[in-house]
Order: sequence, then structure tokens, then C-alpha cells
Amino acid sequence: MPKIQEILSGAAAIAKGMGVTIKEMMNPVITDDYPDAPPKFQERYRGLHVLQRDEDGLEKCVACFLCSAACPAQCIYIEAADNTAQERISGGERYAKVYNIDYSRCIFCGYCVEACPTDAITHGHGFELASFNTSTLIYRKEKLLAPLAPGQTGKVKLDHPVMAETGH
Amino acid sequence: MTFSPQLEAKFADLITHYPEGRQKGALIPMLLYAQDEVGAVTPEVIAEVASRLNVKPVEVEEVIGYYTMLWRHKRGKHHIQVCTNLSCMLAGGEELYAQVSKKLGIGHRETTPDGQFSLEETECLGACSWAPAVLVNYDFHMKMTPEKLDRLIESLGSKQ
Amino acid sequence: MADLITLTIDGRKLKVPAGTLVIEAAKQAGIEIPAFCYYEGFSLQAACRMCLVEVEKMPKLQPSCTLPAADGMVVHTESPKVADARKGMLEFLLTNHPLDCPVCDKGGECELQDMVFRYGAGESRFTEIKYHQDEKQWSPLVYYDPARCILCYRCVRVCDEGLGVGALGLTYRGVAAEITPSHGDHLECDECGWCIDVCPVGALTSGTYRYQSRPWEMNHTGTICTHCADGCKTTLSVRNGAIIRANNRDRSGYNGEFLCVKGRFGYDFVHSGERLQSPMIRKNGKLEPVSWSEALAAVATKFSEIKARGGKFGVIGSTRTTNEENYYLQKFARQGLGTASVDHHRTGDVPALIDALSGKTDALAAMADLYQAKAALVIGADLAQQHPLIAYQLRANYRHHKMAAYLVNPGASREEQYAKKSVHAPPGKEMEAVASLAGELKGHEDLVVIFGASLRGEGVRQLVSFGDTLGIPVKYVCLVDYSNSRGAMDMGLVPELLPGYRSVREAGMEPGLALDEMLAAKDLDALWAVGANPLESAELASSAAFVVVQDLFLTETARRAEVVLPAQSAYEKNGTVTSVTGEVQKLKAGAKVMGTKADLEIMGLIAKEMGLNLGIWSPDKVFEEIRRTVRGYNIPLPVVATGGAAQTTPVNGRVPAMPRPEHIRPSGDTLFTSGTLGRYSKRLSSVMEAPGELFKG
Repeated sequence: MPKIQEILSGAAAIAKGMGVTIKEMMNPVITDDYPDAPPKFQERYRGLHVLQRDEDGLEKCVACFLCSAACPAQCIYIEAADNTAQERISGGERYAKVYNIDYSRCIFCGYCVEACPTDAITHGHGFELASFNTSTLIYRKEKLLAPLAPGQTGKVKLDHPVMAETGH
Repeated sequence: MTFSPQLEAKFADLITHYPEGRQKGALIPMLLYAQDEVGAVTPEVIAEVASRLNVKPVEVEEVIGYYTMLWRHKRGKHHIQVCTNLSCMLAGGEELYAQVSKKLGIGHRETTPDGQFSLEETECLGACSWAPAVLVNYDFHMKMTPEKLDRLIESLGSKQ
Repeated sequence: MADLITLTIDGRKLKVPAGTLVIEAAKQAGIEIPAFCYYEGFSLQAACRMCLVEVEKMPKLQPSCTLPAADGMVVHTESPKVADARKGMLEFLLTNHPLDCPVCDKGGECELQDMVFRYGAGESRFTEIKYHQDEKQWSPLVYYDPARCILCYRCVRVCDEGLGVGALGLTYRGVAAEITPSHGDHLECDECGWCIDVCPVGALTSGTYRYQSRPWEMNHTGTICTHCADGCKTTLSVRNGAIIRANNRDRSGYNGEFLCVKGRFGYDFVHSGERLQSPMIRKNGKLEPVSWSEALAAVATKFSEIKARGGKFGVIGSTRTTNEENYYLQKFARQGLGTASVDHHRTGDVPALIDALSGKTDALAAMADLYQAKAALVIGADLAQQHPLIAYQLRANYRHHKMAAYLVNPGASREEQYAKKSVHAPPGKEMEAVASLAGELKGHEDLVVIFGASLRGEGVRQLVSFGDTLGIPVKYVCLVDYSNSRGAMDMGLVPELLPGYRSVREAGMEPGLALDEMLAAKDLDALWAVGANPLESAELASSAAFVVVQDLFLTETARRAEVVLPAQSAYEKNGTVTSVTGEVQKLKAGAKVMGTKADLEIMGLIAKEMGLNLGIWSPDKVFEEIRRTVRGYNIPLPVVATGGAAQTTPVNGRVPAMPRPEHIRPSGDTLFTSGTLGRYSKRLSSVMEAPGELFKG
């Protein structure tokens, strides 16, 4: 008799297991199809940084160095330069001529984003940073900048309010 | 630069009014007199007065920046100052100022192109009892009315 | 010592001399009272009201910067009432001060920022629009942003009182008040940039440091300025091996915060595009870059060959290289090459002074003596142009102690502003003018005599014997022109003298050729110029001479050379230099330039290549040897190692052999020129005052 009991309990276990499976089949899928489909992120996911632009397409970054000061991994390197009347790159008096983030050191803590007084640096959702060569992990400003929106030139005409306005 | 003999004599006398080593005190009167003669406190006047009183040119600049009655650009031959301080304002000073401004086509601290008139909106002239008051160069014109002001400007204009 | 009084600050009992300001008394006790307008050593302003303190039994808060300490005074520096008042003051200051810290160069080292952070007035109750004026550029080196200015007058005071330039003033009133430069829209001044350093906010900013970095991003290295002989400490701020700015905010050297345009801005030659970064050898008539080993081997082979056949060497040392390098070079020349023809560009007759002072002690003035002396006699020197620190020391002495200055100069100089007496005398007639001052000089307690290169040889002896007749303690400074001119002389870079003013005959040699004679010698086989540019104004007579040059740039001499070795500047290496007052200070490497080597290392490697044993060529080891063997250089190491200045006591006896004074050539440098080196500093020539003139007042 013990044999029949074993079979029955085995069948019950299978049924129980299959029950869970069938129940889950009815629920919506929460896994991603990555890499066949793009992954979905929480809004506040801290991925590859993006240097934002303002509504005119000018860079928001004024090269104040606060992100690099806040960075616990010391992975941000900046060189600042003057905006001139002929060439205006950012909204403030100065802009970042060089802005490098070393992703072999970055720990994605988000302190830089918190420190930024102009909301220029933000965390995007990029995460595919793997590389066989660490030297390619130093991202330059060109790679970090947000793309220009359609109709933006990233340049400001001399009669633009930003140029005319002298106040801070 | 040299000034007219009268002014030179005035300066020579002025300097004696201040104790030895404190001749710097003559700075403001000297600038005012020089301005009356030259028409403005020009860079040459600054350099000259600075060297005569043995002060640095920048000290003269400081004084000119501080006092509104010292002008760097040419004043008109007739410098019209309209008081718009409290008593005069209540008695119509601001209207008078607007009238002159419109008539001459110049604003505050501006000079007509022909160099005849300059206009300035001033603070209290100390003539509140006879408000509204207008000062042309060193002459007071009190209890002004728009008509009187018109006549005054015309008579000044015809004087050349 | 003045009478001591007792006062209590924040519960601590302090004893201070009567008349001490409360803010100073507190500082001595380590209590910081914040202040914007108060600046130590300059006139009092009491304009900013940040230093208000509560004094018991006084009805209102008192400004501690103008309040002399009184006996029994009880002061509270951080009571709630005081904090409240300071917060209120800050709120007023911020009515117009823009909150643009992210783009302001001062961010991170701004006194206003610190105070607002401490007392909290970041949020203003003012709703009015801030009065704004645009930033102005006053000169290539100075920018002024009126909106940020808090009108503390520090810049006005350092310029007027500290330097006697008085290029800054304050114009307009109330909210429109702003600092104005001497010439309306631009500055004509010494361009020293001290106004930028003292500015507590970011109103005055430097055109060179502009937006370059942040204070926390840089490494700071205290070293000695490599331009004139005054030996000012300049703190280089270095980022990625490049010098970004120089100042001396920590007041570490004997110059305090003082620096001239060369010390503060004249470092740009280090990163000049014309710097040599690879050794070069002349091949087919052209200088071609080669490896270090090839260049060193070429020099060693040729030197050995010339030495073997008894050829004629000429060795010219530098007035800017370190004492160690100068010592090693003369050792190399005398022991290694067997030549006595060693010289450098001499700019003052130091041996004559040392000889004339034989038997006297304490007769060489140190930089600090210039600030303490009761009287000063300046002969043949436009100090404000040639020796800015000495000029500053004397002026500070006059300002604080009413020192009496006497001038004997060929023309006008800025010291005439406060000098008790100034006599114009052409070169050669100075001593007569000096003699005419004897009666007045005798009336002072002590005297320091500062003389330029117009007095040399017999003239120096006459001066010292004149000093002896005065009957008061007299100290002397013999002016020399370059950063280590004095060290080059002390280290025996002259044909007649070994290090420490010993005769070369002690080493069994006869004096060799002087610099001019080397250039004129038609049979010279080799000329070795270490950091010197003798061919700038002369021709090399010997066309067959093998010329080796160690320098920073392709100078006239380097262009004539067979082998050019790229050397490091003083800002890139360690070692010691001796200032005009004979004070030894330490150089510390700050910047890095690829491809270069320190002169000491280059010489050491050549010696090694030649198979000579001249000792270890590390700066520390050579300095040890100098301390052991050079008379007067046995100075206390801790003083120098910790960044202090130790005065050498060269000899106290006759100098056995006199270098010939006719080979002295004063450089004639002004505030904006600096020999060959100055030509490669674009900044020095970028200011409109450059190149300047001597004795024009």
C-alpha cells in the first residue's frame, strides 16, 4: 500500500507545483526581455550621467566643480573656460571646456547630481558600460551631453534674452 | 594746463585758506571753480588739480564720483536745475521738470547739442518757502509757474 | 615692553600690551573674530561691522578692530546678540551681492561665503531687485565685478599704503559705490595682484586664474620665486603638474603676503610652448632631438677628450640654479675638468662687502632688519622697480615705525614719497652725496645701508669706512639681481674664489678666465653654460669651441651649442637658494614638465658618464656637503627644512682674493623684466606698463 500512497502524494506535489505555475501564467510578466528588448527602469534609476541642456539648447553646466568636489570616488575631471560674446556654450559666465567622468571609478552614488546647483548633471538610464579596455571608460563631455532637441542649435544669438540680461 | 588769470588768482588765494599740509581741503572748491570755467571736469582738469594739491588723481576721481554737482561731460552755458524735492514736488516741481525736459529735448544730466542748456533734477535747494524753485547756474528763480519758466528759458536762449 | 593689561575674552584671561586691539588680542589667544575690512598691518576702517563684539558695561556692540583693549575688559565674541548682529550685517551685504558662487572664482575660499555659512543669512528678506553692474577687465591680470564688491577697502589700502601705488579708489555713493582704477577704465600700476589676494569676496579676480580651477582641486607647494634676488616665498597651486596660480596667502615666507607681478604671475614661462623638452645634438649644422643617453654620452666623450689633451674649458654657471647645483658645477669644473675658468653673470660686489666687513659681527642685514631699522640709506637703487620686497619692507617700516629713509640715486624713485631726504647723484658721485648726509645719519639709533652695483670694489670699502665713522650700529645689504646671484657667489662660481670665499690657490690652482675673457678667448675648446645665456649680448670668439648648454629655452647661447640639454626651472626642482640678504631658503618642486631634468642630475649623469667620482648628486646630499665645507653655510637644518630662512654668516676675515669688479654687469631689470627668463613670460610683457624704466619715480 505504501506504494499507492507514494504515487498519490507525488501527484499532489506535482499538482501543487503546477498550480503555482499555472497561477503565475495568469499574472502579468515582470521580467525583461533584455537583451532582445530594451529594459525598463525605475524613474530614479542611477545610470550613465547625462549633462542636460536648457530650453535653448545651451549647456546647463557652468563648471563650478561642485560635482567633482562631492564625488567620493574622485572620478569627475573638469576644466572651465569663459563664454565669450561670439561663442556662448552655457547659460552662465563659464562653461565646462573639459568634462570627463571616469566610469572605472564611478560608484553611481548620485552625490554629483545632488551637488549640482544648476541641475546640469543627472543620472540617465544608460548602463551598458562594460568594456575590455578601461581607458575607454573615461567618458568625455561629448558623450555625456544630452542630444539637442529638434529645432535647438545649442547656440544663442546676440539679441537673445540670456545675452541681454545682465542680472544673475 | 593753465586757467584764466582771475581763476589762477582765486586758486592762489584759496590754498592759503587751509592749514599747512591740509591743502587737500581745497579740492572741492577748486574743482567747482575749474568746472565753471572749463565747463566740465575733464581729465586735464583732474590731472592739473591733482598735481597742484599733491594728491593722487584717483583721489580726485573719488570726489567727482561722490558729488553730483561735478560733471565729467560738458554742461550747457545755462545749467537749469529743477527741484523735485518734497515742497517743490507738491507745488508742481515735477511738472516743471517735465516741461523743461520736453522743451529742450534733454533729460537728467544732459546737455543740448548746441551747448546752450543742460538740465538736472536736483534735491532740495533750500527754497521751500518759495516753491517750486529753479536754479539757473547760480541764480534762483522762485515761485515758478509753467509760463514763467517758458519765458525764462526763452530769455536765456535769446541771451546767447 | 609696554605695560601689560589683563582682559577677558570668552572667559579666558589674557595679558596683552596696552593699546592692543581687541581683535588682535583675541587672535593671539586663538579666538577668531570675523572681519572683512580689518587687515593686519594696514590702517583701520571699521566699515564692515562684522567684528562687533559684546563688551560688558558697554551699552552697544563694539567693533573689535578699532577697540583698544583696556584693563579689566570682559569681551564676548560669540554671544547670541553678536551672532544676531553679524547675521544682520550679512543680510545687508547680501542685498546686492549676487549668489553666483558656482561661477565665482572665489567659491571655496570666500570669506563672505564662510560667514554666511556660519551665521546663516542665505535667505534674504529683501525683495528689491539687486543692483547690478557688469564685470570689468582692468588689465590683463585684474578683473573687477562691482556687484560682488562689499566695499571693505582692503584693496585700496594695500595698494596705497602697502605699495605706495595708490591705483585704486572708491567712487560714487550708496548702492552705486564701486572701486575704481586710477585711469577710469583701466589700471596703471605695479600689476602685483595683491588686491586680488586680499579681496574677501570674488570682486577682484585674477585674469590668469580665471575659471581655471577650485582651491580644493589644487596642490599647494611653497617655494621661492625665481625672478629677483629678494627671495619671496611664493606658494604655487598646481593641478595636473601645471602651475595655475601663485600667491602667498599663508604668509609663510619672510615676505608675508607680499609678492610682485613676477612672483604672482611670472610663472607662466614654466609652461611656455618654447620650453625645451628633449636633448638636442647638432647634426649637419642643425640641432636635432636625440635621446638623453646619446646626448649625455656625446658631452662626456667630448669633455673627456678635451680634458685628456689639456684643452681650454670655460664653465659658466647660473644665477637662478640652486646652491647645490652651483656647488656641484664648480666642483665638476675644478676637480672633474681641472679648469679654474668658472664664472657667472655677476651683478653686485658681494666679496668686496664681505672683505670690508672683516672683523665685524652682525653687520649684514637680514630681510627682517629692514623692517626694524630706525634709518635706511639707499644708494643707487630704484627699489620699487628692482627689489620690490626690500621696497615694501622699508615702506612698512616707515608706516609702522616712522623709519627715516635717505636716498642717493641717479634719478627719481618711488621711495621719495616718504624719504626724509633724497639726493640725486650720478653714478660715481654717490659717495660725496652720502658724505653730505653724515650729520643726519649720526642722529639715528641704527642704520641699514642698501647699495646697488654702482658701488663696487674701492667704493664699497669707502662706504663701510664711512659707516664706521657714524658711531651707530650699521648693517649692509649689497644688492644683486637674480634669485640665486648671492648663492652663485657664495658657492665659488668665480675664477678667483672657492666656495666660502677661499682662494683658489688653496686648491693649488691659479685663477682662470672670467666670463668675458672666456667669450673673448680665441683658443677656447669647450664652453659649458649651465642656465646662463652669455651670448645674449656678446659673441663667442672661438669658432671651434664645443658649446654645451643646459637651459629651459633655446636661447642665443643654446642656438650656438653643439649639445643642448633641457633643464628644469626652479619651480620644478628641490634645493636651496640664497637671497640678496644672504638668507638660505628651500625650493620645493611644484610643476612638472615632461622630458626635462634638474641641472644637478644632468651634471651628475655627465660625471658618471665620464667616470668621475664627485659624490652623490641628490640635493640633500650635496647640501650636506655644502654645510660641512662651505664657511657660513652651517645653518640650522630644521629652519630651512620647515620653510624658514636661515641667514648665512659668510666669512669673518679678509677675503683672500678679490674677483675683479670690472666684470660686474647689473641686469638693469625693472619690475616687468627678468633677464632672459622674463622674455619667455608672456604675462610680464602683456601688461601695458612693461617693460618699465628705472629711476623715473
